[in-house]
Amino acid sequence: MKIEIEKKDQSFVFEVMQGEKILYAGLRAGISLPYECATGTCGSCKARLKEGDLQSGWPDAPARKNLKTERQELLMCQAEATSDCRIGVPAAIKPFRQDDLKPQHIKGISSNWRLLTHDVMQFDVTLPDAISFHAGQFFVVKTPGVEGFRAYSMVNYAPETNVLEFIIKKKPGGGFSEWVFDDKRGKDLVEIFGPLGRATFHPDENHDLFMIAGGSGIAGLMSILQHGSEIDYFSDHQATVFFGVRTRKDAFFVDQLSAIKRKFPDNIHVNIIFSDEQVTNGAASDLGALQPGFGMVHEAALAGIAPGTANTMAYLAGPPPMVDACIRPLIMDLKFGANMIRYDKFG
Amino acid sequence: MCATDAVAEDSMKRFDVEGIAILVANVGDGFRAYPPVCPHMEEFLENSGICAGGVLTCDRHLWQWDMKTGEPQGPAEKPLLMYDTKEEDGQVMVLIEQELEYEFDDDDD
Repeated sequence: MKIEIEKKDQSFVFEVMQGEKILYAGLRAGISLPYECATGTCGSCKARLKEGDLQSGWPDAPARKNLKTERQELLMCQAEATSDCRIGVPAAIKPFRQDDLKPQHIKGISSNWRLLTHDVMQFDVTLPDAISFHAGQFFVVKTPGVEGFRAYSMVNYAPETNVLEFIIKKKPGGGFSEWVFDDKRGKDLVEIFGPLGRATFHPDENHDLFMIAGGSGIAGLMSILQHGSEIDYFSDHQATVFFGVRTRKDAFFVDQLSAIKRKFPDNIHVNIIFSDEQVTNGAASDLGALQPGFGMVHEAALAGIAPGTANTMAYLAGPPPMVDACIRPLIMDLKFGANMIRYDKFG
Repeated sequence: MCATDAVAEDSMKRFDVEGIAILVANVGDGFRAYPPVCPHMEEFLENSGICAGGVLTCDRHLWQWDMKTGEPQGPAEKPLLMYDTKEEDGQVMVLIEQELEYEFDDDDD
C-alpha cells in the first residue's frame, strides 16, 4: 500500500507493509517524518487522514486525548494503513542528517538478563548483522505476547555492533516489564525498529556536555559517555552529569560512572542525587567517585551550572515532568538556546 | 483588551473577548497580540510558552519566535500570526477583524 504526503512544493510517497506503522514505513524509506517517542505518548507525529482507510492502532495511546477526531487526526506511530492513503503532516519534512542510519525492522534475540537493582534489569538484544547508531539513540522493541512497541535507549556504544544493551525498569501492570521480570524468560525472539531519536552525541560538534537523567533515563547518556570516553573526547571537553534516583538501593551504574570519572578526573563531574534518602559517600554506601546530593535532580542540576555556557549542549532524559521542569529554567535563567537542548522524554 | 500595566515586560497573558482567545505580550516598547496556540501542534502557549529576552519559546518542541515581529527562529517553521495593537489612555487595544487561526497544514487550501 502507498502513503502519500503532499507538501507545498513537494510530495512524498512511500510503501507501507500490512500491519506496519505509517511512521516506521516513512522513516524506513528515508523520509524524515516528525516524531519524538514513536510509541504513542508524545503526540509529535500527529497527522491528518485526507483520503483512504486505516486502523488507528492502540486505543489507549496517551497522546490520543489531544487528537481531533472530527478532523481525522491520527498518530503516525500507531496507525496502520488498510488501503492507499493520503495524509497531511503539520511540519516540514527535512532530510536526515547525512550520517544518519535509516531505521529498519530487525529481528533479534534477547538474552543475558541481569538485575542492576531490585527493579531495574539490563539485557542484550543480539542482531544477525552489525549495525551503526548515534550514541543517545533508541530502538522500539516488541516482545512475544505483548501488544505494541516500547522505546528503549541503548546503554552501549560502538561504531558497529550486533549487540544492543538496554535497561528496563519494572512497572506494576506494565505488560513489557512483567514479561522482562518473569523468571521464566530466556532467549526470546524480539522485533525491534530503529535506530531512532535525535538526542544524539556528535563529537565533531565540539560541545561541552551538561546531562540530567532521571532513573532509567541514564541509559542513553551512558552510551554518550562511553563513546566520548573511548575516543578521549573528555581530554579536552567537559561533561557534568546529574543522575537522579530515589534511594541508595535504586542506584546503578555506580562503578561504570566512577570509572569514566576516574579516567578524566578534571573534566568529568558525576553527581548522583537522591530524592528520598540522605546518602553520604562512605564504606556503607560506596558511591565510588560519584558526588552525592539530596533533592530533586533537576533542581540540584540547575543550581549546579552557571549561565552563559554558550558551547554547552544540554541532554535531558527522563520522565516528561522532569524534562519539562528542566527546559523552562534552561531557557529563561541559564540562557540556553533551543538548539542547545536535546531531550528524550519517555512515559 | 487590558490595562498596559496588566502584562509585565517580557511576558504575556491570555484574554478572552467575545469567545476569541488572545495572547497579549509586552515586548518592552509596546504590545503584541497573537492567537492562543502554537502554530506547530496547537499547544496553548499560555502554558507551554516561555518568554525570555524578547524570544518566545514553546516548550513542547522548542519552536521559537521573535516576539516583536513574530518571525520564526531556530527550529520553528511558521511565523506567529499577529493582530494589530495600539495603546490608548493606559489601555491596550487589539483590532480583531476576524479570529486568526493557523492552517493545520499548508496544502489544504
